[in-house]
Amino acid sequence: MPIRRSLRGILACAGAVVAMACAEQVPQTPRLHWYVFDEPSGAFAQAARRCAQRSGGRYEIGIRPLPADADQQREQLVRRLAAGDRDIDLIGMDVIWTAEFAQAGWVMPWKPDEADTVRDGRLGSAVASATYRSTLWAAPFTTNTQLLWYRTDRVEAVPDTWAEMIETAERLGREGTIQAQGERYEGLTVLFVSLLASAGGTVLGPDGDSVSLEDEPTRRALAVMHRLATSPAADPSLANAREDQARLAFESGGSSFMLNYPFVWPSAKANAAEVARHMGWARWPAVVSGKPSRVTIGGINIGIGAHSLFPELAFEAATCIVAEPHQRLAAALGGLPPTIAALYDDAQVRDRFPFADLLRETLRDGVQRPRTPFYADVSLAISHALHPMAEIDPDRDVTRLREAVRRALASEGLL
Amino acid sequence: MSARSSAEARLAWLLCAPAMIAMLVVTAYPMLYALWLSLFRYDLRFPDLRRFVGLENYASVLSSEVWWQALVNTLMITVGSVAMELLLGFVFALVMHRAMLGRRLVRTSLLVPYGIITVVAAMSWRLAFDPTTGFVNALLGLEGPWLAERWSAFFVIILTEIWKTTPFMALLLLAGLTLVPEELLRAARVDGATAAQRFFKVTLPIMRPMVLVALLFRTLDAFRIFDTVFIQTRGAQGTGTVSIVGYDALVTRLNLGLGSAVSVLVFLCVVVIAALFVKGFGLDVPDRESP
Amino acid sequence: MGSVAVVIYALIPVVWIVSLSLKPATDLGDRRLIPRVLSLEHYHAVFRDPQFSAALWNSAGIAGLSTVAAVLLGMLAAYAIARLEFPGRRVILAAALSIAMFPPVSIIGPLFDVWRSIGLYDTWAGLILPYMTFTLPLAIWTLSAFFREIPWELDKAARVDGATPLQAFVHVIAPLAAPGVFTAAILVFIFAWNDFLFAISLTSTNDARTVPAAIAFFTGSSRFEQPTGSIAAASVVVTVPIIVMVLAFQRRIVAGLTAGAVKG
Repeated sequence: MPIRRSLRGILACAGAVVAMACAEQVPQTPRLHWYVFDEPSGAFAQAARRCAQRSGGRYEIGIRPLPADADQQREQLVRRLAAGDRDIDLIGMDVIWTAEFAQAGWVMPWKPDEADTVRDGRLGSAVASATYRSTLWAAPFTTNTQLLWYRTDRVEAVPDTWAEMIETAERLGREGTIQAQGERYEGLTVLFVSLLASAGGTVLGPDGDSVSLEDEPTRRALAVMHRLATSPAADPSLANAREDQARLAFESGGSSFMLNYPFVWPSAKANAAEVARHMGWARWPAVVSGKPSRVTIGGINIGIGAHSLFPELAFEAATCIVAEPHQRLAAALGGLPPTIAALYDDAQVRDRFPFADLLRETLRDGVQRPRTPFYADVSLAISHALHPMAEIDPDRDVTRLREAVRRALASEGLL
Repeated sequence: MSARSSAEARLAWLLCAPAMIAMLVVTAYPMLYALWLSLFRYDLRFPDLRRFVGLENYASVLSSEVWWQALVNTLMITVGSVAMELLLGFVFALVMHRAMLGRRLVRTSLLVPYGIITVVAAMSWRLAFDPTTGFVNALLGLEGPWLAERWSAFFVIILTEIWKTTPFMALLLLAGLTLVPEELLRAARVDGATAAQRFFKVTLPIMRPMVLVALLFRTLDAFRIFDTVFIQTRGAQGTGTVSIVGYDALVTRLNLGLGSAVSVLVFLCVVVIAALFVKGFGLDVPDRESP
Repeated sequence: MGSVAVVIYALIPVVWIVSLSLKPATDLGDRRLIPRVLSLEHYHAVFRDPQFSAALWNSAGIAGLSTVAAVLLGMLAAYAIARLEFPGRRVILAAALSIAMFPPVSIIGPLFDVWRSIGLYDTWAGLILPYMTFTLPLAIWTLSAFFREIPWELDKAARVDGATPLQAFVHVIAPLAAPGVFTAAILVFIFAWNDFLFAISLTSTNDARTVPAAIAFFTGSSRFEQPTGSIAAASVVVTVPIIVMVLAFQRRIVAGLTAGAVKG
């Protein structure tokens, strides 16, 4: 009958249209988004491209840039992660965010097998920076730490301890300025934690829930900071100086010592050739003679967003990104120290970092910044309590510091 | 209400409706939510531990030395910058009004500072005052670190603010100046009034509403200063302002309850200031001109 | 001569920013106001960045639309407040003021959540709405204070003289209102153009990111280096449209009464 036939025809057409529409909705290659700061040399972008190619079309990786400043990166990420953003698959995590993100459930833990792959051959301190409560929360990618830089034409014997360094600098008079970071920000916390660890102390107890700050080491660390800030060898704007200011000041020639990250080396070669010609490097000075210094480590680990739409693919992609060839790329192109120990013997890496052995040694002894979800509070408490360094009173401030950190851990009141 | 006035009222509400709706839709929820949050203990990292604590956050803020010092700092910066800006703003407005030669150049160049992004302005002033790499010390032959001491840091911050926002005042004052009819001034001059008398007796009273709008809004903005202080000193050396305190609590420490309490308190302070302006200086709702 | 002094005062820091943008990276710390050597490297870098050109387009559109919207809505409301008698006049002004008084930092969080749920996150409308909202108080207060001072009788006088209501409005009232309207427009535009807080929190890609937010993404040659030169170059580029806009509008901010009072 004509009506039934036309009905059948219509239904058939409708069915075909629906089938086509459904077919259209089958997703093409899954696109993973890697949220990380815009790495200037392009090493990260290359690594992402290579991994996507290696996957044989199973996934693509798009880099979503984050602001350049670490605090602003955290601000953007936290807001979106807390809102359950499904767009975030891979995160370029600063080492100090591990505990916080893990506790809040914003990143996924790594399963034992995959974790073993990305831990294999990595520097212990880098792995520790990505671990919280015995679980791995991110794959170690790059790392960083500070060295002592000095003018070889002015300093004959590299100082062993802070006291020696300050004395040498004072003897050099106008040209003997020491560059460090003394502004009230994360860099000041880095300085304090490094000094404290070099003196043998820790900020938090072993469980990460209580304040430690042992009397003797804390006093020693505070005394060094006070000595540095009140010494005539200190830069007058120490209380306002960050890494970049220290670099610029050293490059302008009037300083003999600088405590800073390795980025200053290629910068000096490019911007201040005469300074670079006489630039030497050494291990961070010790606080106690005979006890090697310990410096905090930084760096980037790759975490997986907890609400990612493609978790398995994301883990795979992260494992690929942190593999050896890409770490070598990041080191050679971007000047970012690798986390794979063996790479420090690699010719290309050693070419970029003539101080590779020193770096490896420092990283081996590196100290973690306090591993607690309240790290942001603790860091704020420390930098607020210890700024400006010139006004530190080792006796009074040990108690003040302990109280401030205790309140930070309890998230109590304004800091 | 008579028929006429109710028709007028209806028309008035109709005209105001689009603006009111826009303002309410965007800000009512966030403001009320912030007020609501301030009554809780809520850390974004521990969303399950959220609990109601009433006014405990407020007690904690108000008993904290950090808050009170920030309040004093903020008031100092506000008063210092607004007072100077009013003075300079008048000078600029008069120059822009009377300029004959290169009028366009003068007016445009005076407004450029306001058009520069605040964080960039703060950063470049910071660089300028840096003792090792900036030009100020080199030019003046000085050595001191401006931003490392409290009072010189205040100077730099207030200078940056004044430089940047005087054009805002100047622009509003200029608009006010255009309201003054030339004939009135001419008549006054004919009557023998001096320039000063003309300014205070003729110009200023007519400009009053604009002056007060400029002062009010500028003060409200100055009280909530954030970018300049953050970039230049991060609030150190005793230059912390109330907005920085709020930022530290809300964004850095993710303590939403405490941070919201700080924000509400800042809001209340600003309300007090606005109320002072309205009552004290006689800024009133513009009255309808009698027909 | 006063004008010259005043102009110099206004422009010295601008000269500094321009000089920072023209100094090669090596000379950044050389303590000189005027660069020793000129280099366009920062401008090259800035324009080569695809993010920046997208941001310029976003900024222009968003700021422009916000200005038009805020001034229009503000004019309607200000007219009602200045000329009509109705209960709730003070309430409206007070409510508008209170919106301008709340610290933006705590508005960002909830606004972000709301925008995400209704799909306005990372869109032009998602920024235009807050910009319009936060400039409406200033626009309404400015315009109503201004409108109050306009002698509206001139309008009637013109009509008595035989002009149609439209002619009266266009030839008599509009020139009187122009200074206030263009002042409000400039202020709104500059606010929207230079805002950083909302731009960085309510955008995520080049779809809606404006220039101030894009500047936060600039990096120096390494992690810790401040890209001072690029930032300076970008802000110089970004200030040019403001200059253009002010040049165009400042003509309108003249004594309107001399124009309209001829008939008087």
